[in-house]
Amino acid sequence: MLHQPVLEAKNLTKLYNGVAAVNAASFTIQPGEIVGFVGLNGAGKSTTINMLLGFLKPSHGEVILFGKHVSLSNAATSHQKIGFATGDMALFDDMTGRQYLHFIARAYKISTQTDTYQQLVEKFEPQLDKKINTLSRGNKQKIALIAAFMSDPELVILDEPSSGLDPLMQQHFLDLVRQQSEKGTTIFMSSHYLNEVIDVCSRILLIKNGKLVKDIPASELEIGAGKLVRVVTKAKVSPPTAAELIEYEKRSDSYVLQFLYKDKAIRLQAWLGTLPNLQDVTISDHSAEAAFEDLYAVQEVENV
Amino acid sequence: MFNLLYKTLRERRYFILGWSLGLAFLGFAMTTFFPSFSGGQIDGLLTSLPPALQGLVGNLQDWKQLPGYIGSQVFDIRLPIFASILSILLAVGLTVGEENKGQLRTLVALPISRRKIIIAKWLAIVIICFIASVGTVFGIEVGVAVIGETLDQMVLVRLGLFTWLLITALATLIFAVGSASGKRSLTTAAGIIVAIGSFLLTTFAQSVSWLKDYEWLSFLHYFPASDIARGTVEWGNVLFYIILVVVSLAIAFLFFPRRDVKVV
Repeated sequence: MLHQPVLEAKNLTKLYNGVAAVNAASFTIQPGEIVGFVGLNGAGKSTTINMLLGFLKPSHGEVILFGKHVSLSNAATSHQKIGFATGDMALFDDMTGRQYLHFIARAYKISTQTDTYQQLVEKFEPQLDKKINTLSRGNKQKIALIAAFMSDPELVILDEPSSGLDPLMQQHFLDLVRQQSEKGTTIFMSSHYLNEVIDVCSRILLIKNGKLVKDIPASELEIGAGKLVRVVTKAKVSPPTAAELIEYEKRSDSYVLQFLYKDKAIRLQAWLGTLPNLQDVTISDHSAEAAFEDLYAVQEVENV
Repeated sequence: MFNLLYKTLRERRYFILGWSLGLAFLGFAMTTFFPSFSGGQIDGLLTSLPPALQGLVGNLQDWKQLPGYIGSQVFDIRLPIFASILSILLAVGLTVGEENKGQLRTLVALPISRRKIIIAKWLAIVIICFIASVGTVFGIEVGVAVIGETLDQMVLVRLGLFTWLLITALATLIFAVGSASGKRSLTTAAGIIVAIGSFLLTTFAQSVSWLKDYEWLSFLHYFPASDIARGTVEWGNVLFYIILVVVSLAIAFLFFPRRDVKVV
């Protein structure tokens, strides 16, 4: 049976003074998916999220949440099913954490006596009785995350959610995302931390200069983290099969070949053995970040 | 919506307390000065003022009777200045102030419609303006008791209610500009231009002949405090402020749900 998508962005575009901050982004998110939304600073992640939630009006295109077209004036209706947090969420400084969460609970017409609320408080151990303006960024972030998840929303949209959290709390956050996923919650999150995205997301959207350039399974980024091989030879050589060429440079008396290798090590060993006049070889781990950079270098829209 | 109204009032509790006490003190202090002016000792000084400056002190005949003195010296000149400052600070804070801090985005992310946000914040304005007006009246009441005079309660009720209407109308106008535009500079400028422009127009129109033709443009033209103190309430003036409130709210209702919320 086909489920209705939780979220559909159709040709979403936001222009500022004629310049596209987001350019014709289209994607669909199905129930229960955890989708990572990655890109460099200024790529258009936050602008896209702000359009999805009805804070910004798209210059072109539309957002459909739970099967209904979203406009600035009706977005609040869909917010009943949505939790939202950002890494720099402006909470209400004058309140204590507890008062803030009570305010959020009343806005969602729920109680703070629920199991979900208690579990979230136990997990994050926030300083609930201090005024928010006295809390550190990380402690504010814990409260923002509890607020995002406390209503048991069907969809959670997070913009750089773990920035400011210490490694332990970051791990708690990832555990929470996994737990919510098991409960069927759909999560759409932007993040700078690629390992975090690979860890919990099933799918990754890459945005570059406002354009969606990749829509791939998260495993593809993980696999992308193979070995980075750099060889210097006297004669011109071709990279082995299954290698992704990164750089080929002809020097005055040598050739430098750099490629990403994801196949079996023994085949690489065999290929190295065939190289004439091998002068130097370096093999290093290709990190997720580097794999991301490779993907990010793609100019054409693929699978979108 | 009442959740948001309560939050808004709670966040501004010190603002409310400070302004209410301040305006109460203004009312109290001005009232206790009355015996110094009513005895006639100051007549010579006032009559020697150049005509151009007499607009700043009001009608000299009003100084002789307590209702006229309070109408002209508290409500006609001083209170509008402070009330304008209150209106500007309140309306700017509730709109572009919160938006620039990113708190408006936090609010609109919740299942609270933008129109309900407008209503809750406007109700907060109405309540805060009421408390400030009550503060002024209370200060005058205490002042009257201290100087041993008597004053018809209806004088203060009329002046207090009209003051409430005046402050609410001005704050609602600025609130509408802030809600509709989201621009701090525009909102603040609109408030200052209306407040200072009205004050200058109304005070100097009595002495500068060519200004008389434009005095109707003043926000204070519709708040003849001395006449109200004497018992004359022109319902056209009440209607003006009510229409202004309704139109301002309509503008906020129309534009706020259709514009981008600033993302900090």
